[in-house]
Amino acid sequence: MNRREFMQCAALLVSGVAATRISMALSDEQKHYLARANYNRTPANYFNEAQRRTVAAVAETIMPATDTPGAIDAGVPGFIENMVQDWLNNAERAIFDQGLAELMASTQRSYGKSFEMLEPAQQSDCLEALESAASDSAWYDFGNTQRVFVSDAPFICQMKELTIWGFFTSEAGATQVLRYEAMPMTFDGNRELGPDDSSWAGTPY
Amino acid sequence: MIQSENYDFDAIVVGSGISGGWAAKELTEKGLKVLVLERGRDITPGLDYYGEHAPDWKLPYQGKKPRELYENEYPIQSHGYALNEGNRQFWNNDKDNPYVFDAEKPFYWMRADVVGGRSLIWGRQTYRWCEQDFTANATDGHGIPWPIGYRDLAPWYSHVEKFAGISGEALGLDELPDSEFLKPMEMHALEKTIQGRLRKKAPHVHMTIGRVAILSEDHNGRAACHYCGPCDRGCSTGSYFSSHSATLPAARATGNLTLKANAVVERLEYDAQGGRVSAVHVIDSKTGERSAFRARLYFLCASTVGSTQILMNSRSEAFPDGLGNRSGALGHYLMDHVYGVGVTGIFYDDMDRYWFGNRPNGTYIPRFRNLGGQDDDAGFLRGYGYQGAAMRMDWKTGFNKKGFGAELKESLRKPGPWVFHLAGFGEVLPQYNNRMYLDAKKVGRFGIPQVGFDCQWGDNERMIRDDMLEQGEGLMKAAGAVFTVRMEEMGEPGLGIHEMGTARMGDDPAQSVVNAHNQVHGAPNVFVTDGACMTSSSCVNPSLTYMALTARACDYAVKQLAQGRL
Ligand SMILES: Cc1cc2nc3c(=O)[nH]c(=O)nc-3n(C[C@H](O)[C@H](O)[C@H](O)COP(=O)(O)OP(=O)(O)OC[C@H]3O[C@@H](n4cnc5c(N)ncnc54)[C@H](O)[C@@H]3O)c2cc1C
Ligand code: SF4
Repeated sequence: MNRREFMQCAALLVSGVAATRISMALSDEQKHYLARANYNRTPANYFNEAQRRTVAAVAETIMPATDTPGAIDAGVPGFIENMVQDWLNNAERAIFDQGLAELMASTQRSYGKSFEMLEPAQQSDCLEALESAASDSAWYDFGNTQRVFVSDAPFICQMKELTIWGFFTSEAGATQVLRYEAMPMTFDGNRELGPDDSSWAGTPY
Repeated sequence: MIQSENYDFDAIVVGSGISGGWAAKELTEKGLKVLVLERGRDITPGLDYYGEHAPDWKLPYQGKKPRELYENEYPIQSHGYALNEGNRQFWNNDKDNPYVFDAEKPFYWMRADVVGGRSLIWGRQTYRWCEQDFTANATDGHGIPWPIGYRDLAPWYSHVEKFAGISGEALGLDELPDSEFLKPMEMHALEKTIQGRLRKKAPHVHMTIGRVAILSEDHNGRAACHYCGPCDRGCSTGSYFSSHSATLPAARATGNLTLKANAVVERLEYDAQGGRVSAVHVIDSKTGERSAFRARLYFLCASTVGSTQILMNSRSEAFPDGLGNRSGALGHYLMDHVYGVGVTGIFYDDMDRYWFGNRPNGTYIPRFRNLGGQDDDAGFLRGYGYQGAAMRMDWKTGFNKKGFGAELKESLRKPGPWVFHLAGFGEVLPQYNNRMYLDAKKVGRFGIPQVGFDCQWGDNERMIRDDMLEQGEGLMKAAGAVFTVRMEEMGEPGLGIHEMGTARMGDDPAQSVVNAHNQVHGAPNVFVTDGACMTSSSCVNPSLTYMALTARACDYAVKQLAQGRL
């Protein structure tokens, strides 16, 4: 399954629609993949199907599956929907809604397609453009990560923060991308770090 | 102990936190029938530690703090660093239990509301006071002299340390006397590198591993730490010292303990004829029902502010300004520590070194300023120490970088450079104007007058802050930091969570509230053994000293009782 096929599956999974309804022909591999357990376990119900597909594709573009799981494998789209529904305040939610609507409209305008149907390079271009327009936001300030949230952060920053947070605190992100050890039993302050080793997940203390 | 029909118990202890747990243990082990009254709800250790070992993905919002809830119900507690969804059940709900908060001059009253009190969520750093701490007031004339010295407390430090289990490294320093230690925890690779450089370039400072009430080896039937990390969610192996892991089980084992949760102490009743307290008045927080209990001895261990609130609310003809308050000192000389100030350095050393296990402890640099006399270049009195710890940057410190996709994922996946932080804790002078009071016009949900605060740091605290920054920056350079960031802003009073004073100890009843044995002047069967009794503040974390003072006062009280003097 190539990335594009995978993204199609992901779009179907997170929106819970049948492939026929958005006239999509599925390969056997895709069908097999879709038969797996639904990884979107969150009860949030804030987005419509189209929004859900776009949000999932944006999250996956930010944190893609590589040789390790990506945002969709990690259930990040469901996390984001939850956070937008319950955790963002009204003003932040309005920024999110508007940003998402603008992104959805602009990909239609520029490419005649929705975001999730674009080529990866086009998806990256869209997000790069949003990021360069947002680049003077306080969200990017050096060292500005030990706070709860930047309330006036633009849509792209909200998406990045929720995606990255949701990803590295997810089970897949913590155990398969980072390393996680619930019961270390010992403390060794002088472990060798190999050039390819990941950080530890979790709350150190 | 012989029971008299007039008494419900031999002793009543108010509060089940660090001090109250110790009072319960010591008094029950000496044979007294003890009632512990605790306003918080009871919990079953282990079973009720729902946050323990919960990975991020099982926490609400995967660990992002629920802001709305905190703003509405925990506006004070969420102002500190420690409240989170793994430990919220232990904290005070600020909406339910308000106090008079002055936004212009804030005092953040950080408190627990549960059996075990803040022993469940404390940072577990444990340091002895030194002789200079006890003589500071007499030497520079701030506050009144302590009636006790290091020699009085040293055996009691040993007594509590042997039971609690303190891990640390002996240094033989006068300014930071050694405890009875279990083996020290290990340092991170970078911390060892820094320690080595400081030895050469800043030989006047000593950097050591944190001294901490956590078992580095099995001890007294409790298991050694398994390095899971976030202790503040509770520890089902009882590896860190809390009332639940250590003192309350010991008290229970004697068969002499009765613990009543949801029991809010309103006031003590003073019997002017007998010259002593005759009863404690209690409100059940669930039903609102009122009751009274009688005992020979009363130990106030409701924390600094909690105990003084009770004394202030115990007015009588004999004590119109609050029990034991003939001096007018009650409520005054409120202290905390200079907190929130420090220096962070970034290091590119030991880049191939990492760690295994979550060490629930940091490093410590004991006070090195104004030792044994005033330093020539110090415009301030007293001193400060630094807590510090090394860690490596990771996705949590770098998620706001630019970029997308595989490259971003890869860069956030791996550890970044090391950071080492020096967090100053500075001594605060005892000042009459820094005080707590009761606001008769505002009452809480049980009809008890609310506490208010009037407290601000002064010039000496600000000079300590300046020195912490200047010296800290120098130490970072000596340690090899390639880049440093200063945390310049002092936390408001209360945020150090080392609040103390307000019922200070002294020989002179005209100037103090309790005597050298924590006994209330004029009410000899009442003892205040928590932070309220502190006459000065030192710069080290205070709880070990409360433990030692409590054990010492219990010993004295029971001896007095045996001699028929109480
Ligand atoms: C996040 C955090 C980190 C800390 N780190 C450290 C550290 O590293 N080292 C250190 O030495 N100290 C530390 N402290 C401070 C330490 O927790 C306190 O000094 C210590 O708990 C004080 O013990 P105590 O028994 O006097 O009060 P507490 O432990 O607060 O217990 C008082 C108890 O009395 C109860 N109570 C209050 N009023 C009443 C009433 N009217 N009736 C009945 N019961 C009442 C309370 O509910 C509470 O359970 C830290 C505190 C916090 C919150
Ligand atoms: S780190 Fe150690 S002391 Fe802390 S909770 Fe885990 S096992 Fe207990």
